[in-house]
Amino acid sequence: MINLKTRFFGFELKNPLIVASSSLTADADKIKAFAESGAAAIVLKSVFEEEIINEYNQIGESKSASHFDEFMDYFDYKIRDQVLASYGRLIKAAKEVSKTPIVASINCVSAGDWLQFASQVQDAGADAIELNLFVMPFDPTRRAEDTRRFYIDTVKEITRRVKIPVAVKISSYFSDLAAICHELDGEKLAGITMFNRFTSPDIDIEKEKVIEAGTLSSENEYLLPLRWVGILSPRLKCPIAASTGVHEARHVIKMLLAGASAVQMASAFYKKGPAYIGEILKGLEAWMDKKGYESIGDFKGRLSLTKAANPALYERAQYLSSFGGYAGS
Amino acid sequence: MTDYSEILKQERNAAWRAELRNAVPNKDRINIERVHMTEAEPHERIKSQTCEVNKGLTPDQARREASRCMDCVNPTCIEGCPVSINIPKFVKYIEAGHFLDAAATLKEFSALPAVCGRVCPQEKQCEAKCFYTQKMKKDPVAIGYLERFAADYERESGKIQVPKVEKRNGIKVAAIGSGPASLSFAGDMIKFGYDVTVFEALHEIGGVLKYGIPEFRLPNAIVDVELDNLRQMGVNFEKNFVVGRTASFEDLKELGYKSFFIGSGAGLPNFMNIPGENLNGVMSSNEYLTRVNLMYANQSDSDTPVLRGKCVAVVGGGNTAMDAVRTSKRLGAERSIIIYRRSRDEMPARLEEIKHAEEEGIEFMNLANPIEYLPNAEGRVAKVRLQRMKLGEPDASGRRKPVPIEGDIVEIDIDLAIVAIGVSPNPLIPACLAGLKMSKWGTIEVNEQTMQSSIPEVFAGGDIVRGGATVILAMGDGRRAAASMHDYLKNRYNL
Repeated sequence: MINLKTRFFGFELKNPLIVASSSLTADADKIKAFAESGAAAIVLKSVFEEEIINEYNQIGESKSASHFDEFMDYFDYKIRDQVLASYGRLIKAAKEVSKTPIVASINCVSAGDWLQFASQVQDAGADAIELNLFVMPFDPTRRAEDTRRFYIDTVKEITRRVKIPVAVKISSYFSDLAAICHELDGEKLAGITMFNRFTSPDIDIEKEKVIEAGTLSSENEYLLPLRWVGILSPRLKCPIAASTGVHEARHVIKMLLAGASAVQMASAFYKKGPAYIGEILKGLEAWMDKKGYESIGDFKGRLSLTKAANPALYERAQYLSSFGGYAGS
Repeated sequence: MTDYSEILKQERNAAWRAELRNAVPNKDRINIERVHMTEAEPHERIKSQTCEVNKGLTPDQARREASRCMDCVNPTCIEGCPVSINIPKFVKYIEAGHFLDAAATLKEFSALPAVCGRVCPQEKQCEAKCFYTQKMKKDPVAIGYLERFAADYERESGKIQVPKVEKRNGIKVAAIGSGPASLSFAGDMIKFGYDVTVFEALHEIGGVLKYGIPEFRLPNAIVDVELDNLRQMGVNFEKNFVVGRTASFEDLKELGYKSFFIGSGAGLPNFMNIPGENLNGVMSSNEYLTRVNLMYANQSDSDTPVLRGKCVAVVGGGNTAMDAVRTSKRLGAERSIIIYRRSRDEMPARLEEIKHAEEEGIEFMNLANPIEYLPNAEGRVAKVRLQRMKLGEPDASGRRKPVPIEGDIVEIDIDLAIVAIGVSPNPLIPACLAGLKMSKWGTIEVNEQTMQSSIPEVFAGGDIVRGGATVILAMGDGRRAAASMHDYLKNRYNL
């Protein structure tokens, strides 16, 4: 009997497949479908602080509001309350339609009063919180240490304010990724998910216009998180979930071998729907059966930096002889 | 607008105006210093909630100030007024010494000139568009002071003119709420000949003018005179009457009311929803000011005395915040502090209110924003944690956006916190009207020209439509709604 149980978000999961935060997790019907298909946990669509700012800007442009500063002065709080109330309703609806753990996702780009949102999602019934930590580094006056302090302070504040488990989802854009992960690891986190995947701009050369690039990940993108899961999993106390480019059962297996405790997936579900979860789980079980593994613990981290026979590949960045014979096509 | 421009032009060409202009060369007008209004001394005025700070202008001061106005060919000041008051005409009447004519001119446009002269943010409206401000970078003509002078003069002269009203047509209409929007609506509808009843939920008529604005800024007696004027015109007032509870809209229809104006305002205070905001000793400015202004909870014999803090923090930078913090000083606070997340330049309060607050010893902690209130052992508020801010790029309101300085958090000791960060419409009345189209912010959606709602016989204006409005904007809504309702009823009942 194969046992797929693992731990992430501070509790036991029935298997390592987590539905990542995306528009797929923004309504109760879809959440129900993922839960029924066997998802171990579901991370709700993020509440983005930017959405609140955008709505504030739209209202500010309206004629009726524009000549009354006092009305607009704190209206962002009003918008935020409405957004949070709506998110609270989503959490409640998700909890009603499934017994699968529901994780709230918060995207923070600034400190301060926004932090109290965490206690509100806890009150609404979320089982855990995932902090989506990313500040776009386009401000030339903002130093790396400012951003780093913001991340750490945010995590400290939120873990101080809530009783439910708190995990973070980070990007790979750090010049000292291992160091920041170690620092985060000291903050009683229930997990670190690596990595966030961002929307990118593209250019339509016919219309000569900046457009949004395709939003789904491609399969070879799993290599970046694979490297860092392999490097960091033996060094961190908190569990790691791998995300970005995980599309098939073989990707899940690779991540677990590198030391991940779970994976977060979204793009594959956009392409193949919630039922695809069952297919991946079958693939995972078949591989475990073939290899003679009975539980995730039997092979998790077997090929991490400290256990692999050739760990240098994790740490090497420059090409050596692999392209020596490349002649072009 | 073309018609109005033509009227303005003709009026400017009138012999008395031309004579007045020619009497003093513009170069001499320009050299006159803007008048300084006499004020009660700060150390005296902070002892009383009812001592009005501004003392008004004398007739000589008013005429001298009015003579600064150059009677521009293109009076841009009017563009700055939300109800397009004929500013040059009333100002020139003052210069000529015809003060009652000045008051009459104001009343053609505004039902409450004595109120607007005291509470309008003129520096952002008419005075911001004055030739002196725009072209000469000098102090504008004190239009607000002159408005107040004309209205006060009329009242104090005992020659208050009760506007003429049309013969009653027997059609009953109702105004719900008794703030500036409803009062201006009622004033126009009674002139058109309707039977007008104003329903007020509280025990005093006047809405925000009474419960919101302290007497040191707007004495109740001033409002009462305006109300008496409306009574003399025939407006009926019903106090302690909650439409939707005391009687439903259907009940009122059965009593013969044919059309309704909703001007019930925005009486629901907004909070920041930060930890500790439900502690004892944290309250809204609505509660604080209403209890002091309307229920006299500051008096020693009050059955329900309001909390008197020794160290009072008021959150916000608007006029309501200034009213609350200055009230707390008058109630004996040793420290009264404004906590505002932007800087002084971005404060929405009238400049005069900020200046008066500073004179009265109010402390300003700008660029700071509460993130948590902390209790003492008894569960009462004892500290507030503040996130220090800096200013970023301008936001949608055109002012620079406050941005947190990460890691810069301070705590200060307080024993009373008053939250003055805005209000929302009271949901009671909209909830009683099936089919009334609402915005997601709880405001009533109306046709902006006619103020008519999705229910044809229901019109609305003021804060319940705008979410937040100045007195003058609310009055403008009331007047527009009255004109539209008149058209609607004329067609419907063949008047």
